[in-house]
Amino acid sequence: MLKPDAIAAEPFDDLDRLSPAELDRWWERKLRAVFKAAARELPYYAQRFSSAGFDPAGFRTLADLRGVPISTKSDLLAAQAAGGSNAIGIEYGVGPGSAPLTLSLSSGTAGTTFITHTARWRRLQGRSSCRAHWWAGLRPGTPLLISAPAWHSYAAIQPFIAMHFGMPCGIVSGTFLPRFADRIVDAMVAMRPRFISMFLPMVFSVLAAAKQKGVRGDEVFAGVESMVVTGAPITPGMRDHLRQLTRVKRVAEIAGTSENLLAVDCARADGLHLVPDTCHAEVIDRETARPLADGERGAAVHSSVVLAGSVYLRYDGGDIAVMNHSPCPCGLPSPRIKLLGRREDSFTIGAQSLLPYDVQLALEQEVPELNGSACVITREGLAEGRLRLLLIEPERSPAALLEAARLGLARKFDVPVEITPVRDLPLRFKGVPPILSEPEAVESL
Amino acid sequence: MANVPPDLAQYPFYRARMQNDGRPAPWTLTDLEEFARTHPGDPFAGRALPGVKPKVALQIEATAEPPVWTALNPPEPDAWAKVLARMWARWGIARGETIGFFDYGSSPLVLLASGCYVAYLGRGASDRLGLSAICNDGVAAMAPRMAGIVEAVKPAAVVLRADLVAPFASALEASGRVLTGRVRWAAMAEVEGVPTRASAVRAAEALGVPVYRILRSDAAFLLAGECPSCRMFHLDRSYRAESLPAGEVAITAGFARSCPAVRYNIGAARIAGRGCAIEPSEERIEC
Repeated sequence: MLKPDAIAAEPFDDLDRLSPAELDRWWERKLRAVFKAAARELPYYAQRFSSAGFDPAGFRTLADLRGVPISTKSDLLAAQAAGGSNAIGIEYGVGPGSAPLTLSLSSGTAGTTFITHTARWRRLQGRSSCRAHWWAGLRPGTPLLISAPAWHSYAAIQPFIAMHFGMPCGIVSGTFLPRFADRIVDAMVAMRPRFISMFLPMVFSVLAAAKQKGVRGDEVFAGVESMVVTGAPITPGMRDHLRQLTRVKRVAEIAGTSENLLAVDCARADGLHLVPDTCHAEVIDRETARPLADGERGAAVHSSVVLAGSVYLRYDGGDIAVMNHSPCPCGLPSPRIKLLGRREDSFTIGAQSLLPYDVQLALEQEVPELNGSACVITREGLAEGRLRLLLIEPERSPAALLEAARLGLARKFDVPVEITPVRDLPLRFKGVPPILSEPEAVESL
Repeated sequence: MANVPPDLAQYPFYRARMQNDGRPAPWTLTDLEEFARTHPGDPFAGRALPGVKPKVALQIEATAEPPVWTALNPPEPDAWAKVLARMWARWGIARGETIGFFDYGSSPLVLLASGCYVAYLGRGASDRLGLSAICNDGVAAMAPRMAGIVEAVKPAAVVLRADLVAPFASALEASGRVLTGRVRWAAMAEVEGVPTRASAVRAAEALGVPVYRILRSDAAFLLAGECPSCRMFHLDRSYRAESLPAGEVAITAGFARSCPAVRYNIGAARIAGRGCAIEPSEERIEC
């Protein structure tokens, strides 16, 4: 078995060997070509570039990105509504007589947009995802479990990864919902994969399903050398918690959007490296559109650096992130980004704007015994200017731990804090706390 | 090699079922599940050669605990996808059009649609016919999204799981959308077996388009579509059917080598012979 450092030291290809400055120049070349082609061939961008006065011919360095207009999901939905079609003029290599396409769907509750996949899209995005999975510790030798439902763009990627690495694949029946967790347990026991990727709440559902079958968590995950979780930002404590529950040595995080952003932990697990061959990302102040310094929290805005299928340029998908351009000891040249949550989930309390991730992180920092604890942030509490949590009662010393957490959070956020222990919460709440009204939280039990 | 039938005696499931005539006794999903229960540790329930690792393993949705898996190696997925393509072509769909799915991505009806959806499938059914494909997650809560897909993507045909017909019809009604005049046909399938004729009639009324039934048995790699003309299931030439004594029919999938599907009992059915005006040479099953 490879140790994490050995995995990090094993580049996927020569792109991983570039210096950060060389990678910036590589990105500049790619983006210049993409912007030029978009202005020429993609009606949506031709119109937006023109309206914003952006001339791709003048794009020289990454600093020039500021002149490129930003698009949001609302913009795409508006274009879709105006045209009455899924095709909105961002689709490259598509037209009368073009080869058959597949379409996948955006996730989220703000409306559905459509992602067009051409054969070229699949090849380029597939290879990029191979790199991401390689960084995350995927090595061939055992089957790859395919669990992504076909509506999601990852469904078009997972089979490509299996074929790229010559891995057999096991297709789990059903869809990616907790009620199918027992099917995943069966698949893991039957196939014994070395590598597995999983939606974060699904890890807990799988463990619960295993328990119902009388199987220990570490037995289900036996043989797994690397587990990638996705769908929610994980805190260091959550990572430790997952390691403890599953006994998997390496728990990595992959973050991304259906619309192209892709970032993944290296073995150092200190931020997620942008996967550079298909995307570039910035973190900006949404009000001023000013690029933010490392560590400053802002909107993640990403651009495709390849022309294939749906092309997203300076796309603000609603994620809040921080960037880190400092060199990583692993040697990978791309900057690191951490997606912290969705803009619609941010809330203001006291003098601060917070995300549920902040609460999860603060809990574990103040009381390490609460690593991985599941809780709900109540709307009622926020409306009254206090942080009120429903938190699963710890098994040991509950009163002392909850009081320590209450005091710690109050000190950290400088707001009144109230923590009510509850016996249980739905598995889907594990990972990052949702913000719910108390009746919603109770009903969900 | 392709035409040499597998030596069934090498497969534990069939070995236990071999008759004096050298053929395995017809079997059902229950038999397969029973074998799985009594042979823990063999996810394929004795239908894959011991120690052989298939390129594609597919968990059979219809099997209960423990789920049973089927195994495929190239070119078997392609052969299965051809069955699907011929079924759609019979119902009528043209190059350049789009087909929409409302089912789990793990259903063979979806998986075999595109080379994107499953590894080691060269060309899926939509690739073969020059169609685009889109799949919505097969849960009732996603019915409004399916209605939105109809609006934006304009599929010419929709394939969906039978239990999703009602939520889909409700979502269409709630959004003021209709399939009539937009979608030429819909096809519905159960996870295992075949929807009743009455349910297809109700579905057609609810959706406002012709609804064809699909005979589906994943354990036997069986997909057969109802004929719009004779209303029987045209059996693709990849399968062989035989009548069983109790008014039942057994199916053998000729392309299945890695995980042979020989004499799978689909239950009460009748072999109706050839002669449909649409495809005169195709064998037909009535059920």
